[in-house]
Amino acid sequence: MATEANARSIGEQAQSETDSQFFRLRVWLRQKDFFSHLLLAVVTFIVLLPLLWIISTSFKDRLEFSTNSASLIPSSFSLVNYMYMFEAIQQLPIYMRNSFILAAGVTLIQVFCSALAGYAFARMRFWGRDFIFIAIIVSMFVPRAGGLMALYELMTFLKLRNSILGLILLFAAGLPAAIFIMRQAFLAIPQEVEESAFIDGANWWQTFWRIALPLAASAMVIIGTLAFVGVWSDYIITYTMIDRDAQMTISVGIKKVLATSYESALSPRFRNQFAGEAADATMLLFSALPVIVIYALMQKWFMRGLTEGAIKF
Amino acid sequence: MASQSDTGGGGLFAAVRRYRQTSGQQVSYRKNNLLGYVFIAPAMALYLTFNVWPIFRGFAMAFTDYRFVYPDTRWEFNGLSNFIKMVGDRRAMDAVGISLKYLAFVAPAMILIALLLAVMISKVKRGAGFYRWVVYLPAVLPVAVIFLMFGEMYGFQFGFINTVLRDWGVENPPNWLGDRTLALPSIGAAHIWMIFGFPTLLFLIGIYNIGSEMYEAASLDGANGWQQFRYLTAPLLKPTFALIVVLNLPLFGVVEPMLILNNGGPANSTRTLGLYLYQQAFEVGDLRLGYAAAISLVIGLISALIAGAIFRWSRQD
Repeated sequence: MATEANARSIGEQAQSETDSQFFRLRVWLRQKDFFSHLLLAVVTFIVLLPLLWIISTSFKDRLEFSTNSASLIPSSFSLVNYMYMFEAIQQLPIYMRNSFILAAGVTLIQVFCSALAGYAFARMRFWGRDFIFIAIIVSMFVPRAGGLMALYELMTFLKLRNSILGLILLFAAGLPAAIFIMRQAFLAIPQEVEESAFIDGANWWQTFWRIALPLAASAMVIIGTLAFVGVWSDYIITYTMIDRDAQMTISVGIKKVLATSYESALSPRFRNQFAGEAADATMLLFSALPVIVIYALMQKWFMRGLTEGAIKF
Repeated sequence: MASQSDTGGGGLFAAVRRYRQTSGQQVSYRKNNLLGYVFIAPAMALYLTFNVWPIFRGFAMAFTDYRFVYPDTRWEFNGLSNFIKMVGDRRAMDAVGISLKYLAFVAPAMILIALLLAVMISKVKRGAGFYRWVVYLPAVLPVAVIFLMFGEMYGFQFGFINTVLRDWGVENPPNWLGDRTLALPSIGAAHIWMIFGFPTLLFLIGIYNIGSEMYEAASLDGANGWQQFRYLTAPLLKPTFALIVVLNLPLFGVVEPMLILNNGGPANSTRTLGLYLYQQAFEVGDLRLGYAAAISLVIGLISALIAGAIFRWSRQD
């Protein structure tokens, strides 16, 4: 921030400074917020360092890894880790598929349910509406003491342990914030649009589905994106509810997969071609890739979702 | 909140009423629109089953000696004996200490980093969007990927950190995760890397809300950067600060890093209270869900106490 005070102090120094080149450099540094950028660049590097390391490591073969493991730019690029990952790790496609089904299922259910409920809370009048809505919001802040234990019992009772469907329902139930955002979005739509639909003889469902829902599309994108990424990244609930390989997701199964790469490093097909750590790095990168891509593409929606959720409460 | 929703619904009904008066046509409309219950039914069914029920059941479970392998013990109430047992449980008490240590290390360090970054990002004119993106990136990565990645980086033999240290001439680099005193802070550092993004964004929103006019006025009065921070930014960010502390109190019940990385090792030096209860519930013996729920309740109560103190502090002056 080029403040008045700073400008004055620069002016005073200018009189004593014979080297006008240096002075101009200093003004430039002030104006361009050079030091903030410099510090932030260092921070950016630190934040990205672990990711850069696993990316570069994923391209290192055994020799490269053992001789040059610290460098962030491999001297020779090798795809042996990727070949190993796709050929030798049998569970990987199963885990990936499960993760996609789970995350997509939760996203769809959550967007649909929260849109329906949000519309009702925003536009319909029924007995107990405001009480129910406030109760939902308040219940978000009640700590879930023993919640995981109760869920374990519940899921066992419903025969939904080791079931992707069960996990979809469980995650999709995390609705309060989504309902809140949807209601907010519907309230922001001018009512004249819906009124004219009613005048034309549309019923509530048609008005909701054809008129209001398309106008609240951006809120739905926000909810869907946050839901997908959140579910993809979950560990502890999935770990508790799923024991079997056939239903395992990648974010939990990755640990199991990593343990195999050291044994496989000695198997005939890939003997001495890759290092266990480098194969691990490759698989870690691969399992996080979907959320990284979504985060890169949906940047704007993320920031809106986070700030809207944070400010409005 | 209530008044806002009244205008939301009322406006529409007022409009419908107006329409009825002008057109004389019959619009199907009732004061109590039962269709509303139909619309909220799917959401409520899911929410009540998987979110509300566990609150009550979890609370009740804390006062039972429920062991999962013996279904008969499900509703066997035993009063406060779980809590009495916990006080006498050496391992639980050690775990309380480890959890407090973890909270006392991770939360302040993370908040300090977040505040510093927010102030710096608020000062740049260009590229703030990029920095915001970078800062939040770790928070979207799968938690298992983050901690396994750090596990590889901390590796004693081939880990990135020790390789770099050896290149720089350190002869005996530490065994980050294998050392009893270093393991907890090492995991904590990775945890900070994972979660500092959201507080940074919250602080940033707070600073943006203060507005540039305030800063211009302050600088006209001759306040330098530090003074602006000390007398303008810091006091106005107090509510944000309180919110961030409260949002991060679940750190006291931390489980996932330990569950993923080392299951409380080496020599139980990272067995937090959260991990201890997880092991009691799902890993050892007869799966003592009742005892675990009681420990979980204690964690919730301690967190609530800290949250109350923080809120009281943030309301002062």
